[in-house]
Amino acid sequence: MSEQQLAIASVPFQQWGEIYDDKEALHAGTIFKDLNKPFFAASGMLGEPAEREKSSVLTQEPAEQKEREDMMRKIAQTCFALDDLTLYLDTHETESKAKELYREKLQEAEALKKEFAEKFYPLGRPCILYSECPNEEHFCWQKGPMPWEGACV
Amino acid sequence: MWCYEKRLQFPVKITKPCPKTAQMIISQYGGPDGELSASMRYLAQRYTMPLKEVGGLLTDIGTEELAHMEMICAMVYQLTKNLSMEEVKTAGFDAYYIDHTTALWPQAASSVPFTSLEFQSKGDAITDLTEDLAAEQKARTVYDNLLRMITDPEVREPLKFLRSREIVHFQRFGEALEKTKDQLDSKNFYYFNPEFDKDMFHGKL
Repeated sequence: MSEQQLAIASVPFQQWGEIYDDKEALHAGTIFKDLNKPFFAASGMLGEPAEREKSSVLTQEPAEQKEREDMMRKIAQTCFALDDLTLYLDTHETESKAKELYREKLQEAEALKKEFAEKFYPLGRPCILYSECPNEEHFCWQKGPMPWEGACV
Repeated sequence: MWCYEKRLQFPVKITKPCPKTAQMIISQYGGPDGELSASMRYLAQRYTMPLKEVGGLLTDIGTEELAHMEMICAMVYQLTKNLSMEEVKTAGFDAYYIDHTTALWPQAASSVPFTSLEFQSKGDAITDLTEDLAAEQKARTVYDNLLRMITDPEVREPLKFLRSREIVHFQRFGEALEKTKDQLDSKNFYYFNPEFDKDMFHGKL
């Protein structure tokens, strides 16, 4: 873009490059390999497990909770790819590869949220449409744990 | 208008309470470089941005920061859940307990309450975007410092995620600044204020 000038900050525009899969992206905090810049004290130096799944295997969870948490993790991964692509497209609005991927992920995310609402509870008000029993006595807040409780990751 | 989804952006599941860690992490809720301050900064600056796409980016990043605030609050909440009276007396958490029991209240690790004095909304696109670049770096440093101090992997994973987001946001604000510069005269970016001297910005004078 613009050449560098005196007396003002410059940051080069990011070029479309290699993309992580959804699981790796959520773990890295970005879908872009070029923007993954970890801190030395954040790597394995403290002997931490690389994957949080390892610790959850040890704790015995009821089957339904496990299924719900697995689905929730997939939703988090797909929706995070969308979050990162949203910001990329805000400054690269004509990048066709990003737009294509965005549409693809959006469809995946919608399908996952629909399935989650059918099996468990609606994640947001638009998901109430997919919820099994529209005439039940409870509205959407009564079902499922609050997101900050940690029971449902 | 905002739409709430009943989930966190990144999972937070902490099984070992630690009020001392909560006392450090709370800084990213209500501290000088915390997520609340970040969100309010961007959502305040967006109204007067001369470029539509920059106002849009500020909206999207400001919204993501709200989700980060929710993650930090979830961490503080889980770290202080079901505490015994003995644990409440842990250095650094006892004073907080007197004022707020184990409820969430935006303050810095140093106990200074949240204040809008921590951020700026200056009404000049170059000034505000330069502030935003600095804000992301300041928040990254706080996450670096937290990662040096905290050893529990259940706490570190979400902190590492949040740190990565600061770097991505820095890149996007840099690109927003480049887009703004493209609309100005590179011989003197400071000839007028693009947010206030609108006629000059749109070349009407």
